[in-house]
Amino acid sequence: MLLSLLTKRYPGMRAWLTQRLTGLLMAIYSVVLLIRVLVLTPSSYDDWLAFSRPWWWRLATLIFWVSLSSHAWLGVRDVLKDYVPNVKIRMVLLKLVVLALWVYLVWITLLLCNL
Amino acid sequence: MKFSIYRYNPDVDKKPYMQDYDVVLEDSDQMLLDALLRIKDLDDSLSLRKSCREGVCGSDSMNINGKNGLACITKLSDLEEPVVLRPMPGLPVIRDLIVDMTQFFENYNSVNPYLVNNDEPPETERLQSPEDRAKLDGLYECILCGACTTSCPSFWWNPDKFVGPAGLLQAYRFIVDSRDQALDDRLENLEAPDRLYRCHNIMNCVDVCPKKLNPSLAIARIKDLKIKEANHSKTLESKAPTKRQIAIKSLHD
Repeated sequence: MLLSLLTKRYPGMRAWLTQRLTGLLMAIYSVVLLIRVLVLTPSSYDDWLAFSRPWWWRLATLIFWVSLSSHAWLGVRDVLKDYVPNVKIRMVLLKLVVLALWVYLVWITLLLCNL
Repeated sequence: MKFSIYRYNPDVDKKPYMQDYDVVLEDSDQMLLDALLRIKDLDDSLSLRKSCREGVCGSDSMNINGKNGLACITKLSDLEEPVVLRPMPGLPVIRDLIVDMTQFFENYNSVNPYLVNNDEPPETERLQSPEDRAKLDGLYECILCGACTTSCPSFWWNPDKFVGPAGLLQAYRFIVDSRDQALDDRLENLEAPDRLYRCHNIMNCVDVCPKKLNPSLAIARIKDLKIKEANHSKTLESKAPTKRQIAIKSLHD
């Protein structure tokens, strides 16, 4: 229901709602992560591999990273809009942020696929 | 009592400076405005706005020891010395403690701060139930002093885009008014990315409001209302017949 509001018709609400929804997803993932760590207490490399390997956990981790990337993009975009008045410099910085976020996202996706 | 006051006269000074005053106060001088008027007796070049001297007109809002407030209702006994006085931040300084509030009032005007009702005017006033009237409490009391808006970083960085806490409080004041008929227009008016959603709930506005109002809560309620309204219109859209359905129906007819 809320996802249907993330359209160009509501540009202000879209960014605001996206940050809230991604924040919620990250919070849920963090709680589950904490519970899993406390219950499974992985200590060795093999333990961590077993911890991370289930397909549903890899999917959850990917959703977490997609959420983190979009959340971070919206936040950093606002900060740069506020504190970098020079449009050319701001555009360069914004492009660097997008590039960094995509590199991280592709990297984590490859890592998750190769577990 | 010791004061350090921001001074700037653009006709004379190349740049602003802080001027120290050590003033002997009378027993009757209880509020900061009393002390400022005492200083003005000593140095009549000091410029400030004032009018009602009882926290109603909002003229003498200024930055007092780093926090915005009204000089007339700020007790001298609550202030640490030297009392540092500056004009409200985020607005151009006209002279000394006087700022140009044009942008502030442009933003205020942009939310159409008046009742829109196209019904035939009744013989007497438009009535409200006590419950509907109660919804305006905490909103109508705003005196437009500008203390909240000029302590908001989102306004400092985007004064021409972000409406600011005072303007948004007033927007909500008319949004919840049962007599108003322009809800959709009012919500649409705040849809541009920087007008409403630049508020990040840091709550400086709540901290400084001399009338103890809560613009942050009003802003959060507007955001909630926008979601409800958008959901409502989406539901109506989905129930409305598509062009294809209308075409098929017209063929059958």
